[in-house]
Amino acid sequence: MSVVSENASEATQSPLIVWSQILPWIMASVLLAALPFVFGSGSALTIMNQMAITIIFALAYNMLLGQGGMLSFGHAVYMGLGGFFCVHLMNMVEYDNLWLPLPFLPLFGGLFGLMFATIIGLFSTRRAGTVFAMISLGVGELIAASSIIVVAFFGGEEGVSGDRTMGPTALGIDFASQKEVYYLTAFWLVLSALAMFLFSRTPMGRIANAVRDNEERAEFLGYSQRYVRLISFCASGFFCGIAGGLFAINFEILTQENLDLTSSGIILLITFLGGVGFFIGPIIGAIVFTMLQTVLSLYTEIWQLYLGVLFLMTVMFFPAGLTGLLAMHSLPYRLGKFSLLLVPYAKMALPALVLVLSSASLLELLFHARHASVGENEMTLFGITFDSHALTPWIVLVVLLVGSFMIVKRQAPSLYDAWQSANHMEPRS
Amino acid sequence: MSLIIVNLLDGLVTGLLLFMLCSGLTLIFSMMGVLNFAHASFYMLGAYFAYQISTYLGFWVGLLVAPFVVGLAGALVERYGLRRVHKYGHVPELIFTFGLALLIEELVQFIWGKSQMAYEQPPALDFTAFAIAGNAFPAYKMFMIFIAMGIFLLLLYILTRTRIGMIIQAALSYPHTVQNLGHNVPLIFMGVFGVGTALAGLAGVIAGPALGTFPGMAFQLGSIVFVTIVIGGLGSLWGALFASLLIGWLQTFAASYNIRFADIFEFFGFTPPVDMANSALRDLWTLTVPQIGPILPYLLMVAVLVIRPQGLFGRRET
Amino acid sequence: MNAPAIELSGLCKSFGTIEIIRDVNLQVAKGERHAIIGPNGAGKSTLFNLITGKYTATAGSVSLHGENVQNLKPYQINRRGLSRSFQITNIFPKMSVFENIRCGLLWSMGYKYSFWTLVNRQTKLTERTDEILEQINMTSRRNDIAGVLTYAEQRALEIGITIAGGADIVMLDEPTAGMSHSETDYIVDLIRTVTQDKTLVMVEHDMGVIFDLADRISVLVYGQFIASDTPAKVRSNEKVQEAYLGAAMEAEH
Repeated sequence: MSVVSENASEATQSPLIVWSQILPWIMASVLLAALPFVFGSGSALTIMNQMAITIIFALAYNMLLGQGGMLSFGHAVYMGLGGFFCVHLMNMVEYDNLWLPLPFLPLFGGLFGLMFATIIGLFSTRRAGTVFAMISLGVGELIAASSIIVVAFFGGEEGVSGDRTMGPTALGIDFASQKEVYYLTAFWLVLSALAMFLFSRTPMGRIANAVRDNEERAEFLGYSQRYVRLISFCASGFFCGIAGGLFAINFEILTQENLDLTSSGIILLITFLGGVGFFIGPIIGAIVFTMLQTVLSLYTEIWQLYLGVLFLMTVMFFPAGLTGLLAMHSLPYRLGKFSLLLVPYAKMALPALVLVLSSASLLELLFHARHASVGENEMTLFGITFDSHALTPWIVLVVLLVGSFMIVKRQAPSLYDAWQSANHMEPRS
Repeated sequence: MSLIIVNLLDGLVTGLLLFMLCSGLTLIFSMMGVLNFAHASFYMLGAYFAYQISTYLGFWVGLLVAPFVVGLAGALVERYGLRRVHKYGHVPELIFTFGLALLIEELVQFIWGKSQMAYEQPPALDFTAFAIAGNAFPAYKMFMIFIAMGIFLLLLYILTRTRIGMIIQAALSYPHTVQNLGHNVPLIFMGVFGVGTALAGLAGVIAGPALGTFPGMAFQLGSIVFVTIVIGGLGSLWGALFASLLIGWLQTFAASYNIRFADIFEFFGFTPPVDMANSALRDLWTLTVPQIGPILPYLLMVAVLVIRPQGLFGRRET
Repeated sequence: MNAPAIELSGLCKSFGTIEIIRDVNLQVAKGERHAIIGPNGAGKSTLFNLITGKYTATAGSVSLHGENVQNLKPYQINRRGLSRSFQITNIFPKMSVFENIRCGLLWSMGYKYSFWTLVNRQTKLTERTDEILEQINMTSRRNDIAGVLTYAEQRALEIGITIAGGADIVMLDEPTAGMSHSETDYIVDLIRTVTQDKTLVMVEHDMGVIFDLADRISVLVYGQFIASDTPAKVRSNEKVQEAYLGAAMEAEH
């Protein structure tokens, strides 16, 4: 990736506790603990749980893509298998008197993911790059296709379901309520994220970066690139399995959808959107994606089209992702020149917003005109109801689109100049 | 015996169709180092474009025009998308083509909707070519074989007998040297990408009426195409041909012989578990060969990778 | 034990039908500074890659300290105490200078694939890294990203990575290629200090550097050694003057 990786080297003599390093984790934990008091409704809790699971999955995925330089097209398999295994464990708790308190379940999902990743990794990590990507795709498709055949484990078309409340309880917590599940999920989120963060700070984590950047050099420093990739792969599989276990606890059902190429593609999209070069990237990606998905799918049928466009634009213009976009601003901020950007940004905001909204509206209009059932000519956009087969809305939207485009184009040079001067450093003496 | 002949022909159709996709993909990969994840999406575009043209001008015009339109679209994608991403390296390129595949599927649904298109074979080919012991073989399949064979022979001719073919051959064997030959590399890249996607488009045009024209057709075939070139060996045209035919026949034969796994196990002296409904191995005993047909290519891929990581015909260690 | 640090016997390497290295024999004693010279295309880099495990020999053998290392992978050879630099700068461009050096130290300090220790907590590791930075004169560049260094600085960093692991055999592939005079002097001094008490094998074009540094010189022409002796004797060797200078002039044209 073209992104400069974070510096893990700044510490010189580290005392046992460095507040600046621990503080973000404490703040995140406090925030997670406080969130249900603000968003306490069932649907909000479900979305937050979904987000937490996606964050773990995306972080685990980025252990490969961002830190190890390995692009996987079949990573849903490791989360999915961990999830299936956990549902089976839940059923064994219910029917076969297996003693396993629910809070420990994700650990076993992780171990199963680890086991499976080890088996696959033994032959798939021999090569990096394109070959690895293709193998991951093939293996992913193999498992997804087998899931319909191997009914005993995958439950065929309808999947496998379980009941999380049947296990041994402690302190009267039986995880029947969403809130209890939320706190369990949040606990595993913090634990997994911390573990993955620390992993990137170990000799193994640093060498994974080295192999990503220059595998040949790493070999001549005594490290086998294959083992380094294998270990990264196994570690990633472990955390994917934990995410799968949490998924099993939350939704109590796993189906083929948890394994297929779409799920694998989405996690790549999320991670890349957030920014693969930063530890926090996948976290931002998962939060933004889940919000977008929830909000957009409420209002429009073609939200996946927007997502596709957004993803492709990110790959083409901002390969460092959303986090990269934010990080770009750290230099002007440190130089104390951030204020130079405020006015050009403010000038750009409105026309850019109009540009985006009018293009989206045109797409909606086109979609409605083509696909709405016969006789249904009425459509509503932004609270305005109109006839999609009439000429007026088309004219209005095209005028808005062209107009805002012209303004954006005219503003662009001054924004560019402002950006240049905000990033201008005095030459070193 | 007659069933075998019909299966051989059916498998040949599938195999040659696969090869039309794999050849373009291999060409692009060898010359540009880019594995075009969206390759099967151009195949889908071929079918949709041809359908749209055929509604106005009939099947034959669609057959001629649609591949060119697809090739043009491919060239534009290379010029304005891929070239931009190229400087970031191979992994972002792969991610770009993956995003492109997603976007094309969404675009197709946006324009044509989610249901299957009424893209039919032309009336002129709507008859039975011949029948072997009651197994009818439609003329349209013969037509597909002819087209695919024609393309194959044309490729063979171009690669072995023309100057541009020599350059491509050189690129296949020594991917880095061609850039030093003084040819206009960006233009060659755009051309290769255009021709490769046009080939995929042509495959889509002729496959559309036979296999159905619907938004999922790209992903349905896409992963098989990648598996095929991994089995054949990345960057090897002969490997791609061999693996395409192998997979074509494997799938056709698997689909038409309804052999139960239980029979095979019993043949080797295993006894079925008494309590079948609760046995963990019950799936193994109730499986039939047609059921595992769809996963055979993937199993083959894993087997090849374990035994010969560079693929059957692959020489390159990259 | 008095086995030579490096011993090549009957080493051959062909690519297809082309023989690049033809029956090469060489012994480099412990602590010796040995230079390999020869015209372009003589096979110097190939020989280097054969010794360090990047290529596998077609015939013959490579031994380190009397131990055959044929068919070992580069990382295994590195663990036996041989470290190399590259003709084309080969560093970790996205990491800081400090981290580049630290990567070179990790294996030799026994961290292996550890994922249960935190690198920042390893006081000895940090100290050792800083020592090497001091040694290669790059302390001021400690936290800079390696990719933004000047060419000469990157070459120095590469030498730093190479010697960081404490290997007793150091192989440098054209360490001064493409450098100005003052830069070359700087690198030669650097090489002299960091390879004290070590076995050094280097490929080099700059005769000044070679006569300055080397105890012995081997001349490789068309995949064969035509001489292997002290600098003074090599300089006066007629065969060398004829073959090497002749070939060198051919290569120029």
